[in-house]
Amino acid sequence: MNPLLPLRVHQGAAAVLALLALSASLLVAGLPRRFEAAYDRAAHALLAEDPAEATDLTVALSPAVLGEHITGEEGFRTQDRRWRALVPPSLTPILDARRGDDGRFAAKTFGTPVAAFLGPEKRRPAEYVNLGWVSGAERRVRYVEGSPPGPPATVASVPGHSELLDVSRFDIALPRAAAEKMDIPLGATLVLGHSHPVLARVTGLFEPIAPGDRFWRRNRDMAEVTTRPVAGGDSEELTITALTGEASLTELTGEGRDLVYVWSIAVDPSAVTARDAASVVEGVADYRRVLGVEAAKFGGGSFAEVLDTSLGRVLTGFLARLATARALMFLVLGGLVAVAGGVIALAVQLLTERMRDALALARARGASLGQVVAAGAGTAALAVVPAVLAGYGLSFLLPAMSGPGTPIVYAGPLVLAVATVGFAAARVALAHRTPLPVRRDDVAGRRRSPRRTVLELLVVVLALAGAYLLRSRGLTTGVEARGADPFLMLVPVMLTVAAALVTLRCYPYPLRLFARLAARARGAVPFVGLALAARAGQVGALPVLILLPALAVSVYGAVAGGTLEGAQRLAAWQATGAGARVERESGLPPEVIEKIRRAPGVRAVVPVDKGLAQLDLGGRNVTVVAVDLDAYRRLVAGSPLKVPSPPPDDAAAQSTPVRTTPAQGTPAQAASDQSIPALVSPDLAHLSTFEIGWRVRMRITKRGVVTGGLPGLTTATSNLVVVPYDASARAGTRPYTSTLLVRGSGSGGDGLDGDRLRAAEGGLPDVRVVTVEGSRRKITATPLAETIKDGFRIVTIALAVYALLTVVIALVAGAADRARALSYLRALGLSDRRAAGLTVLEVVPMIALTACAGLALGLALPSALGPGVDLGVYAGDLAVRAYDLDLTTPVLLAAGLAAVAVAGAFLHTLTGRRPPGSVLRSGE
Amino acid sequence: MSEVELNTPTLSQLEARAGQARPAFGEHAHVLCDNLVRIYKTEGVEVVALQGLDLLVDRGELIAVVGASGSGKSTLLNVLSGLDVPTAGVARVAGTDLLAMTAKDRLRYRREVVGFVWQQTARNLLPYLTAAENVRLPMRLAGQGSCTARAVRSGELLDLLGVGHRAGSRPGEMSGGEQQRVAIAVALANSPQVVLADEPTGELDSENSEQVFAALRRANRELGVTTVIVTHDATVSEQVDRTVGIRDGRTSSETLRRTSEGGDVIAEEYAVLDRVGRLQLPRDFINALDMERRVRLELERDHIGVWPDKPRPEEPEEPK
Repeated sequence: MNPLLPLRVHQGAAAVLALLALSASLLVAGLPRRFEAAYDRAAHALLAEDPAEATDLTVALSPAVLGEHITGEEGFRTQDRRWRALVPPSLTPILDARRGDDGRFAAKTFGTPVAAFLGPEKRRPAEYVNLGWVSGAERRVRYVEGSPPGPPATVASVPGHSELLDVSRFDIALPRAAAEKMDIPLGATLVLGHSHPVLARVTGLFEPIAPGDRFWRRNRDMAEVTTRPVAGGDSEELTITALTGEASLTELTGEGRDLVYVWSIAVDPSAVTARDAASVVEGVADYRRVLGVEAAKFGGGSFAEVLDTSLGRVLTGFLARLATARALMFLVLGGLVAVAGGVIALAVQLLTERMRDALALARARGASLGQVVAAGAGTAALAVVPAVLAGYGLSFLLPAMSGPGTPIVYAGPLVLAVATVGFAAARVALAHRTPLPVRRDDVAGRRRSPRRTVLELLVVVLALAGAYLLRSRGLTTGVEARGADPFLMLVPVMLTVAAALVTLRCYPYPLRLFARLAARARGAVPFVGLALAARAGQVGALPVLILLPALAVSVYGAVAGGTLEGAQRLAAWQATGAGARVERESGLPPEVIEKIRRAPGVRAVVPVDKGLAQLDLGGRNVTVVAVDLDAYRRLVAGSPLKVPSPPPDDAAAQSTPVRTTPAQGTPAQAASDQSIPALVSPDLAHLSTFEIGWRVRMRITKRGVVTGGLPGLTTATSNLVVVPYDASARAGTRPYTSTLLVRGSGSGGDGLDGDRLRAAEGGLPDVRVVTVEGSRRKITATPLAETIKDGFRIVTIALAVYALLTVVIALVAGAADRARALSYLRALGLSDRRAAGLTVLEVVPMIALTACAGLALGLALPSALGPGVDLGVYAGDLAVRAYDLDLTTPVLLAAGLAAVAVAGAFLHTLTGRRPPGSVLRSGE
Repeated sequence: MSEVELNTPTLSQLEARAGQARPAFGEHAHVLCDNLVRIYKTEGVEVVALQGLDLLVDRGELIAVVGASGSGKSTLLNVLSGLDVPTAGVARVAGTDLLAMTAKDRLRYRREVVGFVWQQTARNLLPYLTAAENVRLPMRLAGQGSCTARAVRSGELLDLLGVGHRAGSRPGEMSGGEQQRVAIAVALANSPQVVLADEPTGELDSENSEQVFAALRRANRELGVTTVIVTHDATVSEQVDRTVGIRDGRTSSETLRRTSEGGDVIAEEYAVLDRVGRLQLPRDFINALDMERRVRLELERDHIGVWPDKPRPEEPEEPK
């Protein structure tokens, strides 16, 4: 039999099937690529947060560990080949071979102090001038004064320094800015190192040709002076690495000097993909181990840390996020595939049902089962295969679907096509196994077989057991990098199927109850409609199996998306501390505070002082925050921030001027200063009274404990002391304000414009203005967060469309039976309107009950998945413990879907009406 | 030795007699049903559609099976067409045992041995194929003949049945009678030995019915194909040689049609006597004589008398 003919005859059903196959193929082939592209973008974004040179594989060894003294660039090159040979194969694809050798090899001393300055003696800060050679440096500098460093020389004696005999002298060049900052003029000679001193003569001053390029980013220590405060004092120490010539390498030995040889193996971060991130992390660990072993071989058997790269750390963090994203996407894609598969199965059912009579005739006329199956499956294949190919091709053409392919992208459409054609073949084969064209409906009874009951029970038990395992073990079973446990990933699908089976089993019961009630009512329509619905049987099964996962996944998506949004909002507030925060380390002057208070959109401000203080004498450092907690609480009313109650304050309670309040408490405290009530973090809770040195020395009395710190004001959750804002004033000095919390016009105090606040503060240097909106933008820009929301959105829309199609196809598939039933009833006097009502009533219970079950399942899924899906990585690393059960969106979703489905049913009845005679006469 | 003893067969005689080949029931019949039983069973409910039906049809015969709705005639036809399997009994068509067929045999049987025509004109033909294509379909399914041979055969069959002019028409464009005649051509496509027709004129007016029966008769006469027509229309007996009546899953009566010397068609109704001697009396006979539960039988010289079980008004004295 030529399958083209049935295809032409049943072109409507075939077109529906083709359209569904096309859309499913497009989604299956396109969405994973879209997600993979987003994962890759996220990986690159994360790697880009680190400077490129930090992700390079940097091998750093001292000559002692290397066991060899390198005297020239060729020596570095020889070693470089050795290091490269050891690079594990998993890392070779990401090595950047395009970059030249410039800056790849270096020999640098570190922590080399300037012991003396030959020339006029004057007071100098602590200075360090390291000696460094970097390959290709001479091409990266422009000498503005003097000349490039020459070869080293030995100086027999140094005038004024009798201890310096036969010392090496290196020629060095310094960046001009550094020379000026460190006050080292051209031609100066320095004595470097207190032991084994050497001389360094400044022969040239240079400027980097391209200061921002990779070479200089990698060798920033040679371009800029590093300033570091000296511990325990207010002075600073300055460090620069001076440039010397290649010839100096012969004299630059590890003896008496801390010297390190550096090889950088450039990595191309854009070559790292989400798929090989795990193997890259492993490769880095392998390489570190191999290099350690190699170094131990040279260097006297001691293991040394010789590999420096941020690649492993960054990618490990990325993999944690990726695991959650993958789990979520697997969930939504799984739901989508299940639903798409179900709708396609329904369409296949429609097509094969349409072809049934023709195939039955052919079978009776002598077609073998093979011929009939070939005709049926061939028709389905003719509809499906080109559509699947078209969807597959379209997914490559659409820019929104572009991205790297995964096995599922290639296998998905193939499986889709094969499964669809296979299902069609199986259906046809089962329907025409025996060639009897007449079904004896009068003696066909329906009773579920015990086998099926056992199978259903098995699925339910498996699903529940899986949910239990999932809750107790988590989705990824501990190994983030290794991916997820497929059994546990299937649990949501199994739960959905189990819920669908239970719904299918149980849904006639409430219907029968309603039908019994309706039987007593006057109208015949409700009774007949409900009776029809309760007897729907097989026709109703597939739509339930489709609608349920569609709703469950949509609702889960809405819940997860809502939770994510809530967590991101909370994280943004916690990062800001109020609607906005204006900070300046050195204090905000009162007139600036006044300007900000008057700035447009500002409703209220609360001044805060914070800083580090010493606990007791010589004790540990604590973070002190001085803030009026009552005012703060009013300031953030309506926001998700929780502000602790202020400590009971005797002084404030008496409302007497602070300064004149007589000291209270123990005789020991009855000093000139009074005790200040404070909240302390739990680790300080054992102290009842203590002193801190902050602005002035003040005596603190613990009046309460603050757990969890004050997010937004300080990141400290331990060693924290919260005192009233006027603590400084009480202790006898003036109040300071280092931070200003601002309330805007929004419901929670947000809605502030950062630019206006910045304009209001009048351009003071080092003022930081942070708004909630700014923090939120930063958090939502977290790589992958958008991908997840995007994925949920697309899938929810697709599922809604599929759900609608399901109802329509189910109605069309049952149209002949319904038309016959309705025609009989209309012949008995049923009006058109009541007939439409009957059809709607027939599908409404199924849709309503499925909607309820889907809603319940979708709401239960978050708790069933429990800790398996950690949304915290997308909410500024805020722990997301419980899902927000905001019912509005899910209920709206379920109701909307149900309403659309019912509307579809109603429309179908209005358009698909035929005069009763046409059906009754047809003799079907 | 007494006479009685001489007449009593010995064991060896009995053995020899048992071993003697005797003609089996319906040995030479083209269609044979012997004590055919078909029971539909679902969830403990049994519907006995055929309860020991006997039927013999000779090669080349044209018979009708008539019966009221639910009498089992469609079941009989499904069994004969190889679409349904009887529960018990013997069913043999053209030498093929219908109870012992494998799936492959069954397919071959449907392709080569039988052809059928159903009541619904729409069910007989694929609506999207032309008449000629419909006729060629069974040949293509069976893989018979070349393309040209099939075209020739379909043309011949359509001509034979008087619908050659509709070869290029689709079923929707033909009248019901034409559709049924095309359906007969389809049934004859693979040169079957038996054609089975299930109410072929059920949806037709008398004029079209007449044409369809004429077509069936022509096929029967010219192609020599055995034809069994099932119908609930008792007047069909005028169209066929023999009419078998079915009641409650059993053959109950036969009507033979013959032409008298004067050229009149005479139809005579007979009751069917099965192999164990059971007989169904026509219901109106029973009602007329008010017969109930049991009757008295009397063997006469050339017939058997059946009397109601009540004293007769003038009981003749039995000769002593």
